[in-house]
Amino acid sequence: MTQSTQAITELLGAFRRYRHRSGSGRPGSGCVSLGRRGSLTTMSILLCCSVGFATGTSPSHAASRCVEDDTGAEICLSEPAQRVVALSPGVTELLFAAGGGDRVVAAVSHADYPAQAEKLPRVGSYNRIDIEAVLAQRPDLVVGWLSGNSPSQLERLERLGLTVYRSEQRELADIATTLERLGTLLDSEREAEETAESLRARLAELEARYAASEPVEVFYQVWADPIITVNDTQIISEAIRLCGGRNLFGELERLTPRLDVESILAADPQAIVAGGMGEASEEWLEQWRKYPDLSAVKNDHLFFVPPSKIQRPTPRMLDGIEILCDQLEEVR
Amino acid sequence: MVLRLVYPLATLALFALLALTLAVAIGSVPITPTELWAVVRGAGEPLHQTLIFELRAPRALAAFAVGGLLAIAGALMQVLLRNPLADPYVLGLSGGAAVGALSAMVAGLGVALVSGAAFAGALFSTLLVFGLAHGTGSWTPTRLLLTGVVVAAGWGAVITFMLAVSPSEQLPGMLYWLMGDLAYARSPWLALAVLGAAVVAAAPLGRSLNVLARGALQAQALGVAVRPLEWGVYLAASLLTAVAVTTAGSIGFVGLVVPHMLRLVLGNDQRLILPASALAGGTLLVLADIVARTAIAPEQLPVGVITAMLGVPLFLYLLHRSR
Repeated sequence: MTQSTQAITELLGAFRRYRHRSGSGRPGSGCVSLGRRGSLTTMSILLCCSVGFATGTSPSHAASRCVEDDTGAEICLSEPAQRVVALSPGVTELLFAAGGGDRVVAAVSHADYPAQAEKLPRVGSYNRIDIEAVLAQRPDLVVGWLSGNSPSQLERLERLGLTVYRSEQRELADIATTLERLGTLLDSEREAEETAESLRARLAELEARYAASEPVEVFYQVWADPIITVNDTQIISEAIRLCGGRNLFGELERLTPRLDVESILAADPQAIVAGGMGEASEEWLEQWRKYPDLSAVKNDHLFFVPPSKIQRPTPRMLDGIEILCDQLEEVR
Repeated sequence: MVLRLVYPLATLALFALLALTLAVAIGSVPITPTELWAVVRGAGEPLHQTLIFELRAPRALAAFAVGGLLAIAGALMQVLLRNPLADPYVLGLSGGAAVGALSAMVAGLGVALVSGAAFAGALFSTLLVFGLAHGTGSWTPTRLLLTGVVVAAGWGAVITFMLAVSPSEQLPGMLYWLMGDLAYARSPWLALAVLGAAVVAAAPLGRSLNVLARGALQAQALGVAVRPLEWGVYLAASLLTAVAVTTAGSIGFVGLVVPHMLRLVLGNDQRLILPASALAGGTLLVLADIVARTAIAPEQLPVGVITAMLGVPLFLYLLHRSR
């Protein structure tokens, strides 16, 4: 078991850089309250729900803003969120993009964008949250990441009386939707709406530009050791499609299939696109030069897209997609 | 005689209380002793009340119960198998529990169901080893040990397979479970109740266990019903381990080393070692959990890492001194 743990530690490393989706369903939480004390939770839930269902009976507590979170659960706040804790680097970016950056009071490690986010107090890492530190921030809204945070920790935060919005983007269009929902909770609807609209416009423009392009066969490499790629249900694969590319391993069943070198040699992609260890490192691509017969190597179609611009579902992903589209255009 | 039991146990109980107090006082949010006292009296800030009553106290009690259960189970296994390397997991129980828990995680089930699946896996593994070792009617501790070790190796292979094919986004949760993690502990009461029951139930058996530790033949000659006692000890140790694993994942080391440490200091009298194991195992895990929560806060470590880091030097020191 020690050996297996050791072997898996490498995969864990892979996972750390590559934080992406799938995720499991969760029991829908109904109306959640702002009560801080655990002992009050039940009462507050009742209160909140009764307000939700019988609006007007207690005007002083009227839940003025309710949205569905990305799992479909209803999230109600009686006032716009003033103290928000963001439980993943991606969610932090989304909150800033939705116009609520000034109200984000804490984030998790690696929340490095925008620059102001780097100065925020930390409440652990996205896969292990320090619940005490979250409570100490006295947040009125916690934005979690459905497929990255531990479901039991999110549930515990709710049981402690916090309002938890679960964020999840499985398609590029979902980024805009989440922005609008967060905008409502943050009372920054206008800014969120503008960002969402410009994002949709850029998506539509890219789609129009590349819809008729000659398809390019792409191998996207998430991690080098072991070699990990993505299948077609992954958001990166949608980006490849948008640019007129075809993910060679999109048909595979698992979201993040692990491959051996032979299967890439056999598939012979026209282009190899890699994320990377850091924002500038391209050493993974060098490893492919050992196989000069690969079309991608022969024609020097080895590309790098900074992982934070394509592996985080945020508005910045559009920048990454534009880089990717230009690269695939080089292949044609 | 009574004093010989009371002094060490009272000392250990004092340490346990100190450790529990520390666990409630220390965390990533600083709480001064004055503020702590206010909370204990029922006043104090709401935030501090939540931290102490909802987070720290239940977790500290769960740590204590799990540590105690593992240490008693380890002591029992060492007597049963007459093998100093025995620990609560030597017969494959944690492997069965892990396969249950990991399957539930892969299936995306909630926390309560993960615990349920772990418990079912642990019981299944116990019965499997019991049935296989019992098969032909004649068995010895060696046969039981071999059966258990091979079943454990089988579970190990299944776990490796599951880790290899699981979606990478589920790996951190699975790994933390395998390393042992008190963040999974929901409520300490069941584990505490089982711990209490085990200590009380073991009290009248201490004398028979002392004889059994010297070998089955001697025990039989001295009028101990060896076979029922051995199976009883096996099932009891398995049940205690199953409850511990269900509460906090498979935390290693406590069950192996705490009974040995106590034997080095107190001598090998099961009447003393069993209750002392409960107190010392609980204390060690409570202390380890404090470090796990605060060492690199707000990042959190799995407690299993710390139990070994605290326990290894302490054990080696005691072993060295005893020569």
